[in-house]
Amino acid sequence: MALRELSSLEKFVGLKRQKKISTQGERKVPVLQNNNGSSLIGLVTISSHLVSEAKKTELLGESVEQRAVVQQWLEYRLTRLDNCSQDEVNIILTELNEYLVDKVYLAGNSITLADALMYYGIHHIISELAVQQKEKYLNVTRWFDHIQHYPGVRHHLPPVIVLRNRVYQSNQH
Amino acid sequence: MAAGTLYTYPENWRAFKAQIAAQYSGARLKVASSPPAFTFGQTNRSPAFLSNFPLGKVPAYQGDDGFCLFESNAIAHYLSNDALRGSTPQARAQVLQWVSFADSEIIPPASAWVFPTLGIMQFNKQATEQAKEEVKRVLAVLNQHLNTCTFLVGERVSLADITVVCSLLWLYKQVLEPAFRQPYPNVNRWFVTCINQPQFKAVLGEVKLCEKMAQFDAKKFAENQPKKETPLKKEKAGKEAGKQQPQQQQEKKEKEKKKEEKKPAPPAEEMDECEAALASEPKTKDPFAHLPKSSFVLDEFKRKYSNEDTLTVAIPHFWENFDREGYSIWYSEYRFPEELTMTFMSCNLITGMFQRLDKLRKNAFASVILFGMNNSSSISGIWVFRGQDLAFTLSEDWQIDYESYSWRKLDVDSDECKTMVKEYFAWEGEFKHVGKPFSQGKIFKKACATEDAHAKVLNFFGSSELLPENKKVVYQRRASRSACAPGGATSPV
Repeated sequence: MALRELSSLEKFVGLKRQKKISTQGERKVPVLQNNNGSSLIGLVTISSHLVSEAKKTELLGESVEQRAVVQQWLEYRLTRLDNCSQDEVNIILTELNEYLVDKVYLAGNSITLADALMYYGIHHIISELAVQQKEKYLNVTRWFDHIQHYPGVRHHLPPVIVLRNRVYQSNQH
Repeated sequence: MAAGTLYTYPENWRAFKAQIAAQYSGARLKVASSPPAFTFGQTNRSPAFLSNFPLGKVPAYQGDDGFCLFESNAIAHYLSNDALRGSTPQARAQVLQWVSFADSEIIPPASAWVFPTLGIMQFNKQATEQAKEEVKRVLAVLNQHLNTCTFLVGERVSLADITVVCSLLWLYKQVLEPAFRQPYPNVNRWFVTCINQPQFKAVLGEVKLCEKMAQFDAKKFAENQPKKETPLKKEKAGKEAGKQQPQQQQEKKEKEKKKEEKKPAPPAEEMDECEAALASEPKTKDPFAHLPKSSFVLDEFKRKYSNEDTLTVAIPHFWENFDREGYSIWYSEYRFPEELTMTFMSCNLITGMFQRLDKLRKNAFASVILFGMNNSSSISGIWVFRGQDLAFTLSEDWQIDYESYSWRKLDVDSDECKTMVKEYFAWEGEFKHVGKPFSQGKIFKKACATEDAHAKVLNFFGSSELLPENKKVVYQRRASRSACAPGGATSPV
């Protein structure tokens, strides 16, 4: 899972040469083997490294503030989103939905690594939502749809169908 | 890739559309907005410019290859790339849809509301209130659309976003204070995201959203009055108004507003062009010169009627101040109701008459109402004239229409008169004597109609577009309440 995600990210940031990435341990933590023998461990560490190597540092945030918010969501991805329980799913969706009321992207006014990794991490949740739930978490759905259509992001993941017309008018706020 | 020069005055939101599009597409665009390359009011009146751009308006585009374009939307379209124009036939049509929406739905009310706050148009409370409602409606439509969409068309910024953002720019800068824009979170999110895209920022700079709704800038307006100024000076004043620090401006406006409330009519700003023209005519031409001075100030009443509630303020004012020696009240009725067919034609009949009576405006007030519907209508009205006789015989210009109407002088003290004045001025009531439902009303009042002023302002802004034809009708209808529209006949749209 993490491997395919990192390989998609490599393509998104425009790195041609595939890196040697494997997983280790029970929790399948990704490990990147560098040519000089050193290694990097962990999803966020490796993705940040890939972004820097591709010289796409704007994806890590351009201002001090934006960089901090990107880090916040990368941490959120690891500590809250990954391996969350079914109960937590609803809390996460509610939190995200609230957060995205006045935002198009998670950090600042352009796409960042935070959007990409949150998109990869939440894909399996969104793809299982019923139409009614997608409407309930309207802002999450809109953000998700935008990111999955962003050129070069989706790659290994199937597109999730998002209805533009709202079926359940009662959910309107 | 297109390369050329865009002629405009500085800070022109219509030119912004083309400039932002060029930022996205990489079109090499030189902007000629200041001397020596371009002097607004001079360059665009030169024969060379007019031979390329017959309207003499800006923005105007001339390619390095000699290709010329006017109309800001066309220029922006030309300078776009395919991603901005829409990549599928559907997307292209949607882009066009939003571009048209901006022109016909956003710009008219936005101008009516914002221009007075910049001091380039007279304030009219009803027009402003109506414009606010219109803006709310437009924002609600956008808000609904942006519920599920990140951008207006597709998932990327398109010409639709560029055009609609630029159309909303003045609203967001001048009047959409936080409380007003709060009900439209999706629009706010989208707008803020757009103006923070690097391509927008390169053209617009840092856009500061309105913190406190700007009010009518009476001082600026007085300064901007066309009387002795050259068009060039006007333009400068307009620009200054735009550039001023919003907060300073607002404070000033607040003061201005307070002053205004106490003393509603500084004479300078009340003089519209028509009155000025009248005033400058030799006194001997005044057909009413033989009448003694009257205590009833008709203009004062007209102001009350335009800007305050009719039933609670304007009508009481009318009866308190009415001078029965100096003025008379008449009931008129169109003598050939069976000839009235389509309502828009009947409306033209009324406004046409108003136009021909233009010079009577200073000495008369009327509310004329069209009742009924197509092929079954009637026209009647209440007129207030200077003097005790019908005024029409006083000038040859005025004699074209009045014989098509029957005229009856009303007894000022009668209940009938009181009721009719109330019903006709307020455009509501039983209208017992008519027997048909109210359709439309027209007010004969002042020459400077909102619509007309509008066109003037747009002109003065050097815009390349006037109101679209269908909007004119709506404006005329709305304007007719606050000021009778002399310009143009109503057309069936």
